[in-house]
Amino acid sequence: MGGENPAEKALILLRTRLCDPNFIFRPLCESSDSNYSKLKFLVSSSVTEGCNNSILLLGPRGSGKIAVLDLVIGDLLQEYPDSITVIRLSGLLHSDENCALKEISRQLCTEHQLLFSKMASFDENSQFLVAMLRECGLAHKTIIFVLDEFDLFALGKQRLLYNLLDALQSVTSQAVVIGVSCRLDADQLLEKRVISRFSNRKLLFLPPSKEDIQRLLEYILLLPTDSSLPTDYVVEFNAKLQNILADEKFKEIINTYLNFDSTVKDFLRYLFRAVSNMDLQSGMLSLENFKTALSNIQRHPKMESIKDCSILELYLLVCMKRLEVKEQNSYNFTAVMKEYKCVHDSFQTSDYYAKNVCLRAFEHLLQRGLIEFMDNRGQNQSVEYRPVKLLISFQQLHQGLKSYRSCPAILQKIMDREK
Amino acid sequence: MADKRDLQTPPKKRSKSSRPSSDPKSSSPSLPPTPLSATPRRSTRRRASLHFPTPPPKKRKTPKSTAEKKQKQQVFYKKVVYDGGEFEVGDDVYVKRREDEDEVEVQVEEQCRVCFKSGKAVMIECDDCLCGFHLKCLKPPLKEVPPGDWVCGFCEARRLGKEVQLPTPPKGKKLVRTFREKLLSSDLWAARIESIWKELDGTYWCRVRWYVIPEETEAGRQPHNLRREIYRTNDSANIEMESILQHCFVMNPREYAKANEGDDVFLCEYEYDIHWYSFKRLAEIDGDKEDDDAESDEDWKRDKDSDSDTEEEVEFEEESTKNILAKPSRAHELAANSHKGRFYGLQKIGMKQIPKHVRCHKQTALERAKSTLLLASLPKSLPCRDKEMLEISAFIKGAISDDKCLGRCLYIHGVPGTGKTMSVLAVMRNLRSEVDAGSIRPYCFIEINGLKLASPENIYRVIYEALSGHRVGWKKALHLLNERFSNGKKFGKDDDKPCILLIDELDLLVTRNQSVLYNILDWPTKPNSKLVVIGIANTMDLPEKLLPRISSRMGIQRLCFGPYNYRQLQEIISSRLRGIDAFEKQAIEFASRKVAAISGDARRALEICRRAAEITDYRIKKLISTPKNASEGKALVGMAEVEAAIQEMFQAPHIQVMKTCSKLSKIYLTAMVYELYKTGMGETTFEKLAMTVYNLCTSNGEAFPGHDMLLKVGCKLGECRIILCESGAKHRLQKLQLNFPSDDVAFALKESKELPWLAKYL
Repeated sequence: MGGENPAEKALILLRTRLCDPNFIFRPLCESSDSNYSKLKFLVSSSVTEGCNNSILLLGPRGSGKIAVLDLVIGDLLQEYPDSITVIRLSGLLHSDENCALKEISRQLCTEHQLLFSKMASFDENSQFLVAMLRECGLAHKTIIFVLDEFDLFALGKQRLLYNLLDALQSVTSQAVVIGVSCRLDADQLLEKRVISRFSNRKLLFLPPSKEDIQRLLEYILLLPTDSSLPTDYVVEFNAKLQNILADEKFKEIINTYLNFDSTVKDFLRYLFRAVSNMDLQSGMLSLENFKTALSNIQRHPKMESIKDCSILELYLLVCMKRLEVKEQNSYNFTAVMKEYKCVHDSFQTSDYYAKNVCLRAFEHLLQRGLIEFMDNRGQNQSVEYRPVKLLISFQQLHQGLKSYRSCPAILQKIMDREK
Repeated sequence: MADKRDLQTPPKKRSKSSRPSSDPKSSSPSLPPTPLSATPRRSTRRRASLHFPTPPPKKRKTPKSTAEKKQKQQVFYKKVVYDGGEFEVGDDVYVKRREDEDEVEVQVEEQCRVCFKSGKAVMIECDDCLCGFHLKCLKPPLKEVPPGDWVCGFCEARRLGKEVQLPTPPKGKKLVRTFREKLLSSDLWAARIESIWKELDGTYWCRVRWYVIPEETEAGRQPHNLRREIYRTNDSANIEMESILQHCFVMNPREYAKANEGDDVFLCEYEYDIHWYSFKRLAEIDGDKEDDDAESDEDWKRDKDSDSDTEEEVEFEEESTKNILAKPSRAHELAANSHKGRFYGLQKIGMKQIPKHVRCHKQTALERAKSTLLLASLPKSLPCRDKEMLEISAFIKGAISDDKCLGRCLYIHGVPGTGKTMSVLAVMRNLRSEVDAGSIRPYCFIEINGLKLASPENIYRVIYEALSGHRVGWKKALHLLNERFSNGKKFGKDDDKPCILLIDELDLLVTRNQSVLYNILDWPTKPNSKLVVIGIANTMDLPEKLLPRISSRMGIQRLCFGPYNYRQLQEIISSRLRGIDAFEKQAIEFASRKVAAISGDARRALEICRRAAEITDYRIKKLISTPKNASEGKALVGMAEVEAAIQEMFQAPHIQVMKTCSKLSKIYLTAMVYELYKTGMGETTFEKLAMTVYNLCTSNGEAFPGHDMLLKVGCKLGECRIILCESGAKHRLQKLQLNFPSDDVAFALKESKELPWLAKYL
C-alpha cells in the first residue's frame, strides 16, 4: 500500500540509506589516504604474509571506526573466504579476563564446529587459545581479534592483553589484534610490558571535512534515476534538492549543526530527522524540514524543565540561588524555607504556601533533576534535612524566568537585584 | 603406586584349552572367545608359515577391501577386511617391530614345554613362566586343571634356588615362539586401532595407540605385575596396515578374569603416560571422557554376538554396514577447549588446500625485510647480550654442578624488550645441547610466566604438574612441593635431578602477605631441595619493596639488563636485515637512535623499522595500482618513512583531533586554556567555564549555544580524554581539567582558519 506513493517509497529509500553504514562509508573509503585502504592493507598483508600485527583504531565516538572495520573485514572475507576467523570482544562485556578467554574459546569453537565446554578453566582456555593459534597458523588461517572499547581491557592487570599479545610472539601464530577505542590515550593506558609487545599501529579517525560533508549530502539525498521510482518524480526531487543544497541558508543551517558536532554518525542522525520531516503530500524535501530538525535535535533540557515548573518551584529555585549568592554553600530544605519566608516578608508577595506544600514542590524539583542531594550519605535522614545543591546555573535560571510566560514580576525583580 | 597392588584382582586359573572337543572352534588355541573373532577369516596367502588346525571355512569371500569404488580422498572406515583379517576400530592387534618380521617363523599354536608337540590334549599354563604343559606330560601327571594358581615344576625349583635344566627340544624341531612370547620379549608391538583410512594411493593406514609391556616402562617390571599385564600408553602413531600381524585381545581385569582360554589375551588396567612415567587407572579415564564412545562400541558388538548363529545374515549385514561406514568417521564428541593439553578436534582446522596467496607469492625484498623484523621470528644469534648470557650460564652451571645448591636464586631485571627472557632461554638451549653431549648433569627446567597464571597460588599447581605430571589443587600441590623440597621426600624416580625454575614477570606473584614468593624463594635454601630459581621482572627494586625476609633470599645475586644503546639496537636490526637490501643505512641509525633515546626497547626498534617498511610497501603498491607512474617508487626505506613510523608510534594523536574538531569544541578548549591562564588553577567547574565561553562568544560575534549544548560538547571532549571531566549529570558543578599541556592546545588551535580570533586568548 505504501508502495503506491512515490514519496513514501523515496522516504523509505532515504531512510534505509541513512541506516546502512556500508552505504555511507563506501564513498569515504575510495582514496588511498583513507583509513579504509590503510587498514585493509595492514590486515590483508598480515593475511598474505602470515605475520602478526596489532592495530589501534582511535577517534571520537561516531566517527565510523567499527563501520570501516566491518567494511574491511567484509571485503577480506570475500577475498580469502576460508582463511579468516573473526573474534569480537567488547570491553563492556568482557573486561574480565576469565570471561574474555571463555568468550574467545566459544567463538573459536563455533567458528570451527568444535564442541565448547562452559566448564573449562582459565588455564585450559588460555592453552586452548595458544593451541588454536598454532593450529590456525599452520593452516594459513588468520584470526582477527576485534577488541571494542579497548580502553576497558586496559584496566587491572591486563592479563588478557598480555596473554594475547604474548601468544602472537611465536612464529607459527598468525593473528591480528585490532583495538577500537574513543580514548585517544588508549595506548598509554597499557603497561610497559604489554605495550612493548604491542606493535603500535595507529589509525586516527577524524570527522569529515566540509567538502566531504557536501559530497556526502549529495550522495545520500539524491534519488537514483534508475530505480523503480517514476522518472519525472525523481527528476523533480533532485532538481529541488540541488536548489536547496546550493542555498546559502541551507549551508548556514548545516554549519550551525556542524559547529556543534561534526562526526559522521551524529550528522546522519540529524539528516534522518530532517528526512523524516518530509512532507508526503508534495513528496519534496524543503528547507523547512532541515530547520525544524535542527531545533528538534538541539534541545535544552534544563530550560525546558524550568518551563514546566510551577510558580512555587520557581520561588524555591530563586531562594536557593539567593542563598548561594550569600555564599551559603550548604543548605537544606529548612534553610530554603527560611529564605522563602524572608523573601515573602520583605517583598510582601501575594502567594505564600504552607510548609508541606513547599516540601512537595521541593521533592518535585529533586525529581526533575534541577536540584540534587550533596552526597549519598544520610539516606535514612528525612528529605528536609539533607543538604542539596542547585544544578542549574544562574544565567540559565535568569533566562528561564524571562521566557516563562506568567512569571510574577516580583521574582524577576529579585533575580535582577541579585545579579 | 602402592594402591595399584591391592586393586589387582587375583588371577584366575586359566587352562590352555578347555573343553577338548565339545566345540570345534576351541580347538584352535589362538582363538580367544570374543564374539567377533569367532568367525576367523585369515587367509593363508601371506602368512604361509601359519598353520591352522581348523580347515578353512567353506563359504568365505576372498579377502578384499570393503570400499570398492575408488575415491579421491582419504576415506575413513570403521571396519576393513585386510589381508584376510578383519580389523575394526577399537581392535587390538600385534604390530611388527621389524620389517622382516613376517619371514620369521611364528608358532601360532602353543607347544608343550616337555614334549614339544601341540595337539589337542588339554594343556595347562604355568602362572609364572607362561609355558604350556600337557597334563599328561607333567610329573606327576594331572587329571584335570587344578583351581587356583599353578606353577610348573621348573619354576618351583627355580624359586627354591635350584639349578634347573629345561628339557631341550628334539633335534630338527626348534623351539618356536608364539606372538605372545615375542610381544613379551619386546620383539613385537601391541596396539589398539583408533581409526582406519585409505590413503589416496590406495594403501590402508591406521592410527594406533601403543601398548607397552611392564619392562618397557620407566619403573620396569614390578613384583605385582602379572605376566600378561600390559599398559596402554597415551602415545599413538599412524602406521600402514601392512605391518599389522593379527588380533590380540587386551581386556580389563573383569573381562580378563572371565576369559579363560587363548594365548593372545592380555590384561590392561592402567594407562601409562610416556612423558611423565605415571600410571592412571583406565576405568577412571574411560569413566571421565570416553563414556559414550565405549558404550556404543560395546553395544554394537553385542548385537553382532546375538546374530552370529545365522552367518549368512551376518555376512550380508556386515557388507551393508561397511558401505554405510565408508564415510568419514564421526566427530569426536568432546569439548575442544577443556582437557588441558589434549584438545580434541583441532586437526579439523587444517586447510583443504594451501591458499593461492601463500603458494604463488614471491616475496619482494621489502616483504622479506618485514618478515625478518617480526618480533616472532627468532634471530639466529642474539647480539649484544654476550656478557649477560655468560653470567647466566655460569650461574646455572655452578648451581647444577654443585651438589648442594643452597639458596641459588638469581634476579634479573630490566625494562621491557631488552632480551631478558630470550637470553635465559638461549642459555637453556645451549645447556640442553651440553646435556645431550653429556658434559653436564641432566636437570629439569620449568618455565612459568606470572601473567599467565590465573592467580598467584596457581604457580604451585603448575610447578607440581611440571615435576610429576599430576594435576592437583594448589593447596595439595603446595603440600607436596613442601615435602619434596623441604623434607627431601621424592615423588618420582628422576627427582635427584636439579630443577631450574624460571619465573617471568615475578612481580605478579606478590600477594598481600607475599607468601607465594616466600615459599618459592625459601625452598632453594633447604638442604636437599636442588632448586634453582631465576626470577625476571621489570623493576629494579622489586626485592627492596618486599618483606625483608624475602628480599634477603632474593636480592643476593642480581643481573641487570640495561636498555640497549643505539649502537646495539643498530646491530640488532642490521643483523636481522643482513642480506636484504631494503633499508637505507641512515634510516636504521635514525630509528635506533630515536628508540635508544626514549626507551632502549628492542621490540620498539624492530616495530618501527617494520612499520617503516610497511609504509614504503604501501606507497609502492599504491603507485603500481595507478598505472601512470608504475616504476617510480623506490623500494628502499628511507628517513621519511622511519620518521612517519616514529610519529605514529610515539606521538599522541590529540593534536590532530583538536585541529579537526567542531567549532564549539575549539572555543570550549580555548576557554579552558584562558581560564587556566587567568586563574592559574588547573581545575575549573563547568559554571565558570560557561561564563568564559559566553564572554568569548559575545565579544567575538559568535552565537552562544546555551549551557546544555555546551555541556554536551564538554562531555564529548571528555570521552576522548582531551579533557578530564566528571559525569555530565553534575551539570554546573562538573569539574573540568585539561588532559594535555595547554601549549598543545595553543599549538593546535592558533592557526585555526575558521576561528582566527582564538589566537588572542592562547
